[in-house]
Amino acid sequence: MDKENLKPQEPTPPEPINDSKFINIYLVPILAVVTALILGAFIIWWVGGNPLLAYKGLLQGAFGSVRALSETTVWASPYIFAGLAVAVGFKGGLFNIGGEGQLAFGAVAASWAGYALPGIFHAQIPPILHILLSVGIGMLAGAIWGGIPGYLKAKTGAHEVINTIMMNYIALNLTSFLLNGPMKDPSPSNVIARTPLIAESARIPAIFPNYRFHWGFILALALAFGVWWLLWKTRLGFEIRTTGLNPDAAKYAGIDVAKTIVIAMSLSGALAGLAGAIEVTALNYRHELGFSSGYGFDAIAIALLGKNHPLGVVLASLLFAAMRNGATKMQFLTQIPVDIISIIQALILLFVSADAIVRYIYRIRTPQERVVYTRGWGK
Amino acid sequence: MKTRLFAVLSFIVVLSMVITGCAPAAAPAAQATAAPAASAEVDCTKADSFCVGLVTDVGKVDDKSFNQSAYEGLKKAEKELGATIKYIETTDSKDYGKNIATFAENGYKVIVTVGFALGEATIAAAKQYPDVKFIGVDQSQTDVIPNLSGIIFDEDKSGYLAGVLAGLMTKSNKVGGVFATDTIPPVWRFGEGYRAGVKSVNDKAEINIVYHNDVGLDKTFVDPEWGKTTANSMMDKGVDVIFSAGGKTGNGGLIAVAGKSTADKPIYAIGVDADQYYSVPEAQKVLLSSAMKDITPAVFDNIKAVKDGTYKGGNFVGPVFLAPFHDLDSAVSADIKAKLDEVSKGLKDGSIKTNVAPTKPG
Repeated sequence: MDKENLKPQEPTPPEPINDSKFINIYLVPILAVVTALILGAFIIWWVGGNPLLAYKGLLQGAFGSVRALSETTVWASPYIFAGLAVAVGFKGGLFNIGGEGQLAFGAVAASWAGYALPGIFHAQIPPILHILLSVGIGMLAGAIWGGIPGYLKAKTGAHEVINTIMMNYIALNLTSFLLNGPMKDPSPSNVIARTPLIAESARIPAIFPNYRFHWGFILALALAFGVWWLLWKTRLGFEIRTTGLNPDAAKYAGIDVAKTIVIAMSLSGALAGLAGAIEVTALNYRHELGFSSGYGFDAIAIALLGKNHPLGVVLASLLFAAMRNGATKMQFLTQIPVDIISIIQALILLFVSADAIVRYIYRIRTPQERVVYTRGWGK
Repeated sequence: MKTRLFAVLSFIVVLSMVITGCAPAAAPAAQATAAPAASAEVDCTKADSFCVGLVTDVGKVDDKSFNQSAYEGLKKAEKELGATIKYIETTDSKDYGKNIATFAENGYKVIVTVGFALGEATIAAAKQYPDVKFIGVDQSQTDVIPNLSGIIFDEDKSGYLAGVLAGLMTKSNKVGGVFATDTIPPVWRFGEGYRAGVKSVNDKAEINIVYHNDVGLDKTFVDPEWGKTTANSMMDKGVDVIFSAGGKTGNGGLIAVAGKSTADKPIYAIGVDADQYYSVPEAQKVLLSSAMKDITPAVFDNIKAVKDGTYKGGNFVGPVFLAPFHDLDSAVSADIKAKLDEVSKGLKDGSIKTNVAPTKPG
């Protein structure tokens, strides 16, 4: 009753909010992070920890030293690649939940190229060429794995959410089979499901000795710029975005919607595959089962938090990476469960996706035009 | 506007009441945690400190399994040796090295790493930090590193004892074994030790042993459904004692026995690693015993050895034995108990051999 009486008295915003301003786009995500951290502090206090000490540890562990910074970038690299993958899909109106499987295939394919190719060619492969081959094959594997659901969507209308989820299972179980069987590290002492080490020539060299900071992070930043350029400065990008906003209008405007969907999904898969390939060639030098613990799923949260903009994805990746990396020091100082980090990340995601809560708490006006993330599901 | 402000304010008021209201109730808990918090003030870089850190495998410190058993050893060291203890739970295998380094760089004297998977990271860390003493649970060492003690167990002896017990307890003369994959050496030693143990006391018994080799390493320990169906099909064939070993897969077997056993036709289960009477309460009424490899005292003894200056690098063979019979103590006759004591002594002094190869041949 009260509310209904009050509502008309509130003046409606006369001027439309400029949605392109950085602060307007990122106000809700930033406030979501702040709110989640405040709620997180209560949870830490509730489980018997000292919130201030915990957050101090989190900061120290993520940024407190050169090594901490280096480790944060190690976490951030796959997040950025995979986050960009999801963002590209979103821009094309496609919800790519298959990042996990595409990433795993990228890693498997890259490690295969890394250890098996010299034997197949019976020759040493020059380092640069071998690295490019391994990374390229990894990307290709991801692109194929992302392209299949794209093709099915374009040709038959099969929903990509269902298909990417199912393709995840196929990819993860196939990976499990390969790493336990034909691709298993044959050294006699090994019982772990992992590939042999890749050849020296396929390894992206470290930049600084004793630090794990690697070229993958720099490549990820460059690629974020590349994705921005592709989406907003090229014809293909325009077609992807138009298809994402309104496929009917896109078709009317003469865009080949089916082709664009396949390209967008392949591109998305290639980026996810790259995340796996870089982990293999620049960091672990092999693929081990269980290494890609949820990057593909975290990437969805990262893309949402970053509002599907490459810059936002980079920032969100750094935030998630800092939290994952700082968790060690946080637990070292306070001995509270590291699951707290997952809870805080889930809260962030909750507040970003249900942005009405954040807008209500901080009373931010709703922008006139809402971004359309996905179609389908009867909406 | 005003109603919203009121709502926010009243929320804050209620929240503060909840917090203050909780405070007295939470006080004992706060005090309990205050003790480790106070010891957190201990400067581990100082010579007179004795700081012990534990890095788990991907998993939790209260997993009712390896990680927890090892941490119990640290807790004992805290109580009896006055050690400052802390743990870090690994969430991703790429953090093994970083988590170990977090302790080493904060002046910890002893670092315990739990599980086979941390073996390589522990060796690397032991070489990088020669002043820190490392204890690796289930990490067999091929080369002796002076500051790395790998805790290993003679699982075949533990399995042998379980076999003797099963061979003497069976009425139908059919015993069963449900195991994770035999490509993991400890599982192989449990399983084949069990087979040898049954044969040594009851050569007429039919022995049904199944290893879960048909899936990958990522599944073989976490497949309770397979454990259940395998145990059920054995019991349908008349098996009345089942040794079920292999993480959650084994637990599934134990629970299946609890579901099939009846008062007039009792079926018994034997657990593994820790005393599973506590970790699988669903199976308490059928759990005869557990073939133990006791990580807790092995970890504690190694920590104590560091304190006493008797610590040595290389392999450390931890104790194996059978857990108490608990609820079924009256079901086990004095003769059987005497026989078990005799076998246990024989295994210790070497007069009884299990003749099980350390790993699966081939």
